[in-house]
Amino acid sequence: MSRRAKLLTVALLLVLAGALIYLRSLTRRTFFEPPPHSDESAKTQLNEAALQSGAGPNETAVLYFPSLNTRVLVAEKRPIKWAQAGADRVRQVLLALAEGPSQHLGHPLAASTNVRAVFLTLEGTAYVDLSNDLLGGIYPGIESESLAVYSIVNSITANVPAVKKVKIVIEGQEVDTLEGHADLTDAIVPDASLVQSSP
Amino acid sequence: MLNEVVPASWRKALLWLTGGLCGLALLFWPARPLRSDSFVFYFPNSKRVIPLEVIENTKYLPFLQVLNLVGTLNSLSEKRNNIKVGFGKDHIELHADDARVRLDKKVILLAAPVRVSNGKWMVPSDFVTVVLPKLTDQDVEYQVGTNRVFLGNVKPGSFTVRLEPESNGARLTFQFTDKVTLRTESSNGQWVMFLGDHPVQPLEQSFHFQNPYVAAVRFDDQDGLPKLLITPSSPGLNFYPLLTEGDKVLRAEVSKPAPPPPQTPATSAPALTTAGAPPAPAQTPAAAQAGAAAPPSPPLPVVALDAGHGGDDTGAKSRDGVLEKNLVATLVGRVRQSLLATAKFRVVLTRTGDANTTFEQRAVAANTAGAAYFLTFHAGDLGGASPRVAVYTFQSPAQETATLAGETRLVFVPWSQIQEAYLDQSRQLARTLQQDFAVIAGVTADLPTSAPVRTLRSVNAPAVAIEVGSLSPDDDATSLSDTAFQVQFAAVVAEALSALQGGGG
Repeated sequence: MSRRAKLLTVALLLVLAGALIYLRSLTRRTFFEPPPHSDESAKTQLNEAALQSGAGPNETAVLYFPSLNTRVLVAEKRPIKWAQAGADRVRQVLLALAEGPSQHLGHPLAASTNVRAVFLTLEGTAYVDLSNDLLGGIYPGIESESLAVYSIVNSITANVPAVKKVKIVIEGQEVDTLEGHADLTDAIVPDASLVQSSP
Repeated sequence: MLNEVVPASWRKALLWLTGGLCGLALLFWPARPLRSDSFVFYFPNSKRVIPLEVIENTKYLPFLQVLNLVGTLNSLSEKRNNIKVGFGKDHIELHADDARVRLDKKVILLAAPVRVSNGKWMVPSDFVTVVLPKLTDQDVEYQVGTNRVFLGNVKPGSFTVRLEPESNGARLTFQFTDKVTLRTESSNGQWVMFLGDHPVQPLEQSFHFQNPYVAAVRFDDQDGLPKLLITPSSPGLNFYPLLTEGDKVLRAEVSKPAPPPPQTPATSAPALTTAGAPPAPAQTPAAAQAGAAAPPSPPLPVVALDAGHGGDDTGAKSRDGVLEKNLVATLVGRVRQSLLATAKFRVVLTRTGDANTTFEQRAVAANTAGAAYFLTFHAGDLGGASPRVAVYTFQSPAQETATLAGETRLVFVPWSQIQEAYLDQSRQLARTLQQDFAVIAGVTADLPTSAPVRTLRSVNAPAVAIEVGSLSPDDDATSLSDTAFQVQFAAVVAEALSALQGGGG
């Protein structure tokens, strides 16, 4: 075999090896990596930014979770480092709600819910755009949906004083209801009467 | 050159004058004797709507679209003044402004000349009876003067109409030859009753009456949806349609509305009255006068029953596969029977069959019927023991506990806020229902509460949502599907409404 032929063979082998490595990584990415809406990947870059922007001192967030049996919202406290911007705080509250309660209570948001966007208006309305994954966490019904909605609204308004009411949109679209029952056509004001009074 | 001859100020005036003259010319230009409409072709399992044009008082159909309905074109040769089409084994030739059609060298004369309108070859409507049967093996049925053609083995239904005076209104009775379904809407001051998918060939297209309640009834299917349009003689009347006798007889009652309910003062506490108190105890002087003038037996109050969800929206689902839309439809059917058995109410259903019905359509059905009560039925996750019943009144998501009732007397109430004027009466209805549900053995009846129930928002009557549970993927729906429970549930609803109406159980 001539020297030139040897060099060509080596080059060909190198190219083949490179192609095999690329093919292997492509296969892994295509077939084995988790889908984009799994629990782990739900926290988008924006969400991570909001969580990391919490540079303040350790404070306490009050989250309200639904209790279907007693038809109330039950408060749970969480340590939190609040972000500076109001919209980021709203995002922090939603992500904390998606993590779920520590007691045996309902989940107002499925763990895989993606907070697509949050906007605050000067009048105190928070526009919260959620992925439709949130519906996976709620069983349809008047009571279950109403408590889920007020769990979100009461939690946001309790922790972000600039927010007076919350307009929930799903996948960027205004919707009539959550799952055919709870009215989402308007921005919703919190309902303090649903909160379980302290024993 | 114009610039040299005409001074600058005149040029501007000239421009305005030209614009004004063009505007006036457009304004007074005689309208073309042409209007658009449509023609419906009914097949055994489908229908097609073809737009038609009326040119010089003759109905014209688009030639190629009509051919495409019954077969496929083999060849097409079009020139400025004629068109030749190969269709199956036939050859058709048309000439513009010529009433003769050449079909395989035979000449057929149409009632009016062929026209070319906006680049489309148009044939007069008698083409359907004169030429079309020669091009297809299917039966072609067309009644001259109508805008519908039946192709193939289609047996259209028909109906007769009768108008009878009632004590406080009028009753229309439609006797159909085939079963129909019913969905009601209100549009442009008319009541519209959609009759389902079965084709209808009416004996008369419209009926006119000299009646203080009903002015006219017209059948229309121009959009492919058979429907009856009822024109009231005056505004503000109530309309109550009811499908009976195997869905072949449709009775529609048109009546004067009941006296308006009293306004509730803003400061008043929720009216905790006895169960026997009627919902509208007081009358304004004007209403009292109207009542004095009214005949002695006013029509029975209407209860609007709303079965939640329907069609593609199945609602909740139990572990054993029971769907909310089906469960509540069964419950509504039982409640309807119980209410009719009391002979104290008329019932209107906002959803019949497994139909997609919007929230607005549900409210419209109840509001046009002048409903005295509105009940929407749902089944969902209530947690805890089953069967459990919860009754809700409307809670506006945009307001805290304050309501519109009595706060500001609005002349025009926004459609989306109508229910807020009835909250006190709705709460009373909820309390009565809850107290009666609580006596059913084995049933947990929660205290009534308020919730942002979308269906209640635009209902112009005391209204509640009744949710039975738990219907969720964690539980079987055995207890909710149980006939004994459903019958008892329906009886309790009828009893509660009877008590509110003042007649006791």
